[in-house]
Amino acid sequence: MSTPAHPYTAPGTGREPRRSMVVCGVIGAAVTAALDEIVFHQILHWHHFYDRSTPGVGLLSDGLLHTAELLALVAGFFLYADLRRRRALAPAHALAGLFLGAGAFQLIDGIVDHKLLRLHQVRYGVDVTPYDWAWNLAGLVLLGVGGALAVRAARRSRARSVA
Amino acid sequence: MTGSHGQHGAAMGPGAGELIAVVGAGLVACGYLLAARRLRRRGDTWSPWRDVAFGTGAAGVVWAAVGPLPGGPFTAHMGRHLLVGMAAPLLLVLARPLTLALRSLSPGTARRWLLALAHSRPAGWLVFPPLAALLDVGGLWVLYRTRLFAGMGHEPWLHALVHAHVLAAGLLFAFTVCRLDPVRRRWGLTVRGTTLLAAGAAHAALAKTLYATAPPGTSFTAGDLHAGSQLMYYGGDLVEAALAAVVAASWYRAAGRRQRRRASADWAYRGCARPADSGFLGR
Repeated sequence: MSTPAHPYTAPGTGREPRRSMVVCGVIGAAVTAALDEIVFHQILHWHHFYDRSTPGVGLLSDGLLHTAELLALVAGFFLYADLRRRRALAPAHALAGLFLGAGAFQLIDGIVDHKLLRLHQVRYGVDVTPYDWAWNLAGLVLLGVGGALAVRAARRSRARSVA
Repeated sequence: MTGSHGQHGAAMGPGAGELIAVVGAGLVACGYLLAARRLRRRGDTWSPWRDVAFGTGAAGVVWAAVGPLPGGPFTAHMGRHLLVGMAAPLLLVLARPLTLALRSLSPGTARRWLLALAHSRPAGWLVFPPLAALLDVGGLWVLYRTRLFAGMGHEPWLHALVHAHVLAAGLLFAFTVCRLDPVRRRWGLTVRGTTLLAAGAAHAALAKTLYATAPPGTSFTAGDLHAGSQLMYYGGDLVEAALAAVVAASWYRAAGRRQRRRASADWAYRGCARPADSGFLGR
């Protein structure tokens, strides 16, 4: 765990941009996973609680993913609170991390879970192609926004350290 | 018979197992409250929230033994299982019963025995988190994936034994994962977090297989089976999130203490007085 060189530095100078980005990335991924579960599983019932064709390994990996998302959400919020307490939060990097985490999860869910492991599909009984495109493009857009924000945040902090 | 063991209590009145659970929970709760009062009269602080947690946990055990639970037989069973095996143990463990016992007992034989027990080698093995998880979630796999569950419906003593195990294993698991009380071996965050993750995944996977396939030797309706397994899945989530929050909060507090210690050591090294108004220090 990295700590600031001096704990009494003035607010704003002891920031930890990389840690801010990672912590908020974890939160972003967990929030997307929770949204997927709540909106698509429980409210829309698009993909189900259990797809009978799922093999045992898929079932266990699904359970692992689900529990990991839950624990990541809790851990992420406490790590975020710790950054705030130490005044080490770099807000611009944190926002970038949030989008990057959300996009990465969406894309990995769309490609690994839906296509490679075939745990479940976005929707059943219809042509799934437009849904898959929408799902993965949404992930790409989130990743793109996160990437742009990360570049901007890095540029700004470099400018500040030069000034 | 559909394996609806929960109904024999309603049909024949409380059995011996239920009676033991009610009296036992009542006695333990009274003992806790008396010990906490003793501590406070002595002038020690003991948060009233711990009393509330312990009382609620004990009430949960009583309710699971004799109270009515909604839903079909399998759903009602699952509600009971959640109460006895997950929610009540977490509440009881949050109240730090071992700490209270060690602090409220006056020095003497009883206190020495308790301390020897807490620091004994077998107790040290038992609080190894993966072992506690295996006893807890592994026991559930045995219960629902063998004919044990069907047999439990016919034999009241087996029913009582299974629920005693579910309570004991749930207590052990919550105790080791939360690590609030002083024991021989104190396992770190990584071991406890990984154990919670693995146990949660195994619990979720078991709930999903129950959704598709009933325990062998039973014949619940599909609706009952689905409602019961969903209750297990989402109820398990709630308690896992609460366990994770307890673990994370204790990390947060410990990290805060470390920061304060480092900060004051640093100021002592520089020969300065600590700035009193630095808000970041917290208290």
